[in-house]
Amino acid sequence: MVSRRGFLKSGGLALLGVGLLGGIPGFLAEAAASEKILSPYKKKKTLVCIFQRGAMDGLMAVTPFTDDYLKAARPNLFMSAAKSGTGNPLIDLDGRFGLHPAMKAFEPMFREKRLGIVHGIGSPNNTRSHFDAQDYMESGTPFNKGTSSGWLNRAVGLLGHDALTPFTAVSMTSAMPRSFYGDNPSVAISNLQDFAIQMRGNPAGANIAAKSFEDLYDQTASGLLKQTGKESFEAMKMLQKTDIKNYTPANGAVYPSSALGNSLKQIAQLIKMDVGLEVAFAESNGWDTHFNQGTENGIFARNVADLSNSIMALWTDLGTYQDDVTIMTMTEFGRTVHQNGTGGTDHGRASCNFILGNDVSGGLVYGDVKPLAVENLEDGRDLAVTTDFRSVFSSVADKHLAINNDHILFPDWKGDRVNVMRG
Amino acid sequence: MKKAVKYWCGFVMLLCLFTVFTAFLPGYPNASLKFPYKQAGLTPEQAAAHLLSRFTYGATPGEVEEVSKIGPEKWFAQQLDAQLPDDSLNQLLNKYDALKLSNTEVVAQYPKGAQVLRMAVRDGIVNKDSVKTDRKAYRDQLQNYMQQNGLKPEQELLRQFINQKILRAAYSNNQLQEVMTSFWFNHFNVSIVKNDCSQYIPAYERDVIRPNALGKFNDLLLATAKSPAMLYYLDNFSSSGNKENMEQGPIRRRLMQQMQGADTGRFANMPKLNKAKKAQGLNENYAREVMELHTLGVDGGYTQQDVTQAAKVLTGWSVYPMGTYGQAGQKLMNRIGDEKLQSRGFVHEGDFLFNPNKHDSGEKTVLGHHFAAGGGYEEGVQLLDMLAHQRATARFIAKKIAVRFVSDNPPQSLIDKMVHTFMNKDGDIKQVLITMVDAPEFWSAAALREKTKSPFELAIGSVRSLHADITQPYQLFNWINKMGEKMYYYQAPTGFPDKGQYWINTGALLNRMNFGLALASGRIPGVKVDLAALNNHHEPESAQAALMTYCKIIMPGRKLDETIKRLTPMLNDPKLMEKVGEASAKTLAATALPVTASDEMMDQQAGLKGKRKNNFIAMQSTSGNNSMLAQVVGVIIGSPEYQRR
Repeated sequence: MVSRRGFLKSGGLALLGVGLLGGIPGFLAEAAASEKILSPYKKKKTLVCIFQRGAMDGLMAVTPFTDDYLKAARPNLFMSAAKSGTGNPLIDLDGRFGLHPAMKAFEPMFREKRLGIVHGIGSPNNTRSHFDAQDYMESGTPFNKGTSSGWLNRAVGLLGHDALTPFTAVSMTSAMPRSFYGDNPSVAISNLQDFAIQMRGNPAGANIAAKSFEDLYDQTASGLLKQTGKESFEAMKMLQKTDIKNYTPANGAVYPSSALGNSLKQIAQLIKMDVGLEVAFAESNGWDTHFNQGTENGIFARNVADLSNSIMALWTDLGTYQDDVTIMTMTEFGRTVHQNGTGGTDHGRASCNFILGNDVSGGLVYGDVKPLAVENLEDGRDLAVTTDFRSVFSSVADKHLAINNDHILFPDWKGDRVNVMRG
Repeated sequence: MKKAVKYWCGFVMLLCLFTVFTAFLPGYPNASLKFPYKQAGLTPEQAAAHLLSRFTYGATPGEVEEVSKIGPEKWFAQQLDAQLPDDSLNQLLNKYDALKLSNTEVVAQYPKGAQVLRMAVRDGIVNKDSVKTDRKAYRDQLQNYMQQNGLKPEQELLRQFINQKILRAAYSNNQLQEVMTSFWFNHFNVSIVKNDCSQYIPAYERDVIRPNALGKFNDLLLATAKSPAMLYYLDNFSSSGNKENMEQGPIRRRLMQQMQGADTGRFANMPKLNKAKKAQGLNENYAREVMELHTLGVDGGYTQQDVTQAAKVLTGWSVYPMGTYGQAGQKLMNRIGDEKLQSRGFVHEGDFLFNPNKHDSGEKTVLGHHFAAGGGYEEGVQLLDMLAHQRATARFIAKKIAVRFVSDNPPQSLIDKMVHTFMNKDGDIKQVLITMVDAPEFWSAAALREKTKSPFELAIGSVRSLHADITQPYQLFNWINKMGEKMYYYQAPTGFPDKGQYWINTGALLNRMNFGLALASGRIPGVKVDLAALNNHHEPESAQAALMTYCKIIMPGRKLDETIKRLTPMLNDPKLMEKVGEASAKTLAATALPVTASDEMMDQQAGLKGKRKNNFIAMQSTSGNNSMLAQVVGVIIGSPEYQRR
């Protein structure tokens, strides 16, 4: 069986690399060799995708606050950009859209034009089922259930080099997300500390077992097991060199002690270890706010605070790595323009998303949000989808990861990109 | 010791039953059949090992010898027949009360959260507004309400369901039936991730997949098409014809309203949305996947036009109203009566309902086959029958079976033989399997150990190899999930890919090794392994002897020279025993003894007392077995050789 990775293309180069620097994991040396780059520590561009499962209310995250229809439709949920009393108003972005006050961490990034927002984004398929909409967004084929691969897995295949490492595509989840389904190598791991041979209460035994396993995998006739085994042990040893458990974020970054904060902290560690991470995936849950959504406080406010604070902690922590990283959020659909009978909102159509990074052409709310009059709403009730999610995802993939093969990344899509990136 | 005697009795009884049963075998396969393994240079024992690696979840100790004694052909016939008694397994399964429930009962007893809320609000127990004020009080109220009304959380249903699958795979004597059940479930995949269909999945496997797993492909296809799980998973329940082509019966409007009520789950509290859904009309999801994934395959020669036409044929295929939301619809149905419904073109079979009022009654053409107007339910049956008998379907299914049972890249010559049988024997799955096993390609060196075990196969195989005693199957599910196969949760209708490359990646591989160590050292709660009993309590003479003995028990019928050679230095490391000893002493000291002296504890203490001198078997502690033997067995389970089958 042929290994799924490119084998050493230039033995001489690899030897030189290992000889010079010593102790470099083989997969990195290999990656370097096949790229004809002398330093294996060549930085890679990384795209971090965050899926907000449950459908974020885009109209509350980034509110068209001058819209009287919205104000009337949401008597208990509408927030104003005008300061009144003790409460925090929306953060006025451009005279029309206001950022939820719990996302104040995002404001400087928007002002510095490093945070872009696309409003009215969503899928052309009008399903209001979480399952179907997530499935379609992650497979990247909104009208085809049978697509076996996810769009981020296809992105890995389009990176333009076969110098893939065990960490090229990492999902910080316990199970492989739909976005990562497919033939290209990718890993789902919820905790980097699990990347080890472990026997609870018997570390000496675990060490001995690890040695035996390494020998066994080294001799096996199965190419797949041999190669993957080699990479596993190299990856493991590399992670052991850093104290993952007692990691101290740089630049005073403070991650929220949430699932998302924890995921992004580990992604930062991987990026800073230069292990070849190019596509990272994390999840944020709890966006299905049918009940008691709240306004400046409450469930929604807590969610957006966690989202923005986690992302900003990652950004701050990255320091000199910032140039190499773009962070993009996504959610399966938006929520009804009208509030429902239980202080929440129901399943709608369009939402908004955030793209953050130094090569983002930020400081703008992209998209086409028409006045929320009945005739402009989808099915007479929801914010209409005016931007296909693929027109934004493809633009980010192209400008950040140099993936321009849209007909493979998003088969059956022939739309135009919305260029949210510089250049 | 008692345990061992029990095992032996079980063994002997099983052997007796085997003999009795083999005497009355029906004609599968015919007596003249002789699998061509000798021509491939395999001994009967090697042939038995190969056969067991393909059609069971792993050989149990001694099983290779048994099968080679009975004869591979006879064993295979028994497995195709799937009639071996499973009394001890059934006893284990008896304690899972949810497994016998019909879908109607499941919906009534294991409602989803949103349903419970509606019921509680309706009964005046929970005030809708209390959600806003005090979340905890609201949760408590709901919990009380559930208890008082005998309602249980859906998670409990799914836990029982997953447990039963693990127990069946580990302990059923009818292994092939269980393997084929997994195969077809994955082929006709539905997912717990999709909220709408999750409640119906236990009955789907039990009533739709398992009974048809070794039958005719056509029956299986039709049964899946009519099951609530599939109807909800691929949305066909909601698909309806164009207005101009729909029957305008007198009860149509009322029924349309009521039927939408049967849509349970998360849309429940959104009456407006239900309205939006009603307007959706034709849904092509099922029609597309039934061709692409269930029958013809993606290159099966159908067009988008065929998909749309097939979707029209299948409009009106829906679910009989059940549960609280279905009450109104059910009342209406009862009032009209089955007889009258039938005369109006309805078809009610179990959970399935064909609703002519949602059916597109126009003409259709699929793959050149013409369906005249007004075909009703029958034209859907004809469509599926036609799809099941296409050559493209035979090719697609034959290849998938060969990939599952022979290798990731099976030879075309083998697939051709299987296609021939599929076409000539009316899609008889048993006959296709016989053709496969009867072919030289099945026994060729290229096929031996060519498959990589999936995480489920690895976990269940290890349990079988070690004769482990499972009292908490869900613990194994957690490990299987960690190794990359969250059973029943695979989101896409494609099912899990069946190839080694999908299963083997760095994170998953390390977890496989960790699983081996955890299992052998007794660190998986509720999964007990008695390593000494495996060797009939004969103490190995030396470390080397132990390695040889246990390698042979766990991986029978294989060449293990390399594995043994590589593991030997581990045994000879003089510092090793010291290190392991120290570690386990620390662990022992750190672990307080539990208060209750369970049988398990007594066993362990007896083990400690009796064999203190033998580091191989001793050194068990309450937090796991730190003996050298456990270490060796753990490494064998995690070894590359054991990942293959």
